[in-house]
Parts: sequence; structure tokens; C-alpha cells
Amino acid sequence: MKANIEARQITAFVDGELDLETQLEIEQRMRVDAELREKIEGLRQLKATIREHADYHELPAALRERLGTWIAAPVAKPATPSRAAVLIQRWWGWRPIAASLALVGVGALTMNLVTLQLTQDDRLVDEVVASHVRSTLGQHLVDVASSDHHTVKPWLSSRLDFSPPVNELHLPDCEFLGGRVDYLNGRPVAALVYRKGRHIVNAFVWPSAGKDSKADFSIERGFQTARWSQGSMTHWVVSDVNREEFKSIVRAVQAADGER
Amino acid sequence: MGDDDNRRRFVLLAMPHAGAAYNLARWLTKNDQDAQDVVQEAMMRALRYMGKFHGDNARAWLLQIVRHACFSWLKENRPAERTFVDDSDDSLENVPGPAEDEPHTMALRKAEHLEINQAIAALPVAYREVLVLRELEDLSYNDIARIADIPLGTVMSRLARARGLMRTALMPGGRPVLRTVPRSINGGSGS
Repeated sequence: MKANIEARQITAFVDGELDLETQLEIEQRMRVDAELREKIEGLRQLKATIREHADYHELPAALRERLGTWIAAPVAKPATPSRAAVLIQRWWGWRPIAASLALVGVGALTMNLVTLQLTQDDRLVDEVVASHVRSTLGQHLVDVASSDHHTVKPWLSSRLDFSPPVNELHLPDCEFLGGRVDYLNGRPVAALVYRKGRHIVNAFVWPSAGKDSKADFSIERGFQTARWSQGSMTHWVVSDVNREEFKSIVRAVQAADGER
Repeated sequence: MGDDDNRRRFVLLAMPHAGAAYNLARWLTKNDQDAQDVVQEAMMRALRYMGKFHGDNARAWLLQIVRHACFSWLKENRPAERTFVDDSDDSLENVPGPAEDEPHTMALRKAEHLEINQAIAALPVAYREVLVLRELEDLSYNDIARIADIPLGTVMSRLARARGLMRTALMPGGRPVLRTVPRSINGGSGS
């Protein structure tokens, strides 16, 4: 009598890893099957608990340093030097100048990366606004259209290399339209889309190493933008609503994220 | 010959995932020093293989190498950890999670940090790795299948199993024995 939904299908369901057909089938079944609903709710709880409490072991400073030294001095001897390695070492021994040039090269690469980072930051606000405009002009507003964050979050998590905070906003006349995967700052990011009145709001999220920071508001080509860091995530919100409404939206995003 | 190029690609593609590499190694070896050594060795190997990498998912690629290094380390140093797991569908029927004697309101005991960590550490390594890759590294089933070198269906079964074991360990009035005698997690289940 009990439906034949296997444990592994339920597990794949909460991970958003089922094919669309099975996903919908289970969603449908959930409406009538309280037991299934509880199982799924339990799994979601378990997932949330693990994600919240399990240690993510950060790279120790010692290892970071070791790796940095090693990659900057690439001819470090292997444990059992092969004939070729010995030759290379000898070559390096005779060519200290070449070796230092190589170091300069690595240094220059690092410098280039730093400069690149800076210009990227400058360009980012342009990218954010462009992405917002594109999304409102084209048909590609959302990839996953749902007002339920339980649907949107796993969908995004399974397509990104991180799990973005996904929340409905508790604001009057504000609707959660869904999410899509976008490309900003040289990486795939989550875009959450809301409608406030007649205006579209794009909220972009991706992981960042920075500390929490307050929202930094600015107006770019007539669009309101805000950026901040919260919970190891970089947030950008952009919309064409008026300034006051925009502030209340940003506050609602921050509050919803803080509640998680 | 292309060595500089490989190193540049390595710095750009692989180095950013050193953190993920360490987290995985730390969970598989269960100690800091060995995890550091395993990661360093894996990074060296990754640099050697860099020229052969042409994919677009450097993170999964690197973690695959790290995972392999971890299992070699386990084989040498913790042979007892290499349990054989039964991935057949029959074994899944016995997923300890939705056991009949438990109420389905699977209210988790207010599990703490330490308790969750211990429960994960107590999982057989085959389940631990898929759980860590999914919940801590947030990888897709496809990536996990590639990293752990198992079919997609097995990823699903092992995750289901891992979560079942976790839930049993964290159940209200669950198995307090877990704290002191992790092995008894399977005790008494017969076979």
C-alpha cells in the first residue's frame, strides 16, 4: 500500500538531484502522504543541522605557507629524485639567475592577479547592473520559477559550488519569483528574483572570504544597488525601485538571512 | 616545456581549492597532521597531472586526486577503516533511518557541534566521504560520483545510508553509546 518511493529517491529529492518528472511526482505525493512529508521534513532538518554544526576544516596557515613556498620554488626535490630530476636540479644549481628570474615571474603573476582583482571590483557594479537589466529585458528572468525556497534552494545548490541563502521576504506587496544561475565576478552566482510592486529586484549571492560588513548603497545608471557581506557571502541587490523602498528591501534580505 | 604554463594554470585552477582539499583530507584521515601531508602530496601530484587536465571543473578534479591520496594513506595506515560496504538495493531496505520503531516525527535531539562531528567521524569511510562531499563541499551527485569513483546510483544509496546512520545517531534518546563506543552504532542490528 505504501508507495514505492525508495529511500534514495527521497534523499535525491531533498538534494534537488532528481529528474524533473520524479521531482514533480514526489511533490504531488507529498500533498497527500503525511508520512512522506514528515520523512522529507526530517531529512531537511538533518541536512540543515549537519550544515550548520559540522566542522568545515579551514586550511591551516602552516599548510598554506608550505604550499605557497613549494609552488614558488617548483624544483623542490621529489622524495626519490629521478634521473631527470637530478639533471634539472643540477641545471638549476648552475643557473641561479634563471631561478631568480622564475621567482620574479611568479611574483609578477601574483601582482597581475592583484591588479586584476582591483579592476574586477571596479567592473563588478557594471556587471551587476548589466545582469539585472538583461534579466528584466529578456525572457530569462528565472531558471526555476517557484515562490517556495525549499524548491529554489536545492535547485540552486545542485548547480552551484555553494549553497546560497534563499529566503522569501516579509514585505507587503513583495513576491518571490524564483532563482537563476548567473555569471558575475568571473564565477557562477545565485540570483534570487523578487517582484516589489511593479519592479523587479535581483539579489545576487556568492561566497566570499570577507568579514560581515554593512550595506554599501550607491546609484548606478539610475539603478539602486547595495552590496554587503554576511555569513561569508557577498550580497548584491539591484533594482529600479525608489530609494526608500530599496532600503526596506535590503533590510528584509538581511533580516531573512540573519534568521536562518 | 609547458612547465611554466602548467604552474600558472595550477595557481589559477587548483590552488583556490586547497581549502576544500584540506577539509576532505581532514575528514577522511581524521587528524590534522596527516591531512596536511596528504594534501601536500596530492597537490604535487596534481601539478604533475595539470597538463592533462582540460575540463572545466578543477575543484572536482583536484578533490578526486586528494581523495585517491587519502585512500592510499588509509590503506597504509588505517587498514581497519577500509570497510566494505554493501551497496546493493537490499542493503538499502535496511536503512536504519525510517525504522519502524521510531516515530516519524524525526525530531532531532538538539544536537551540538561536538555530537554532530563525532557522528560524522563515526561513519564508515565510504559513507563519510559522500556526506562530506555533499553537505560540506556542496558538490553535485555527478561530481561526487566522479570523485569517489562510483556510479550515480551508488552515490544516492550511500548518501541515503549515511543520513540514515546520522539520524539514528542523533535521534532523541538515540544512542548515547555513540559518544564513548562509536563502533556499537551497528551493534545488535543482526544481519
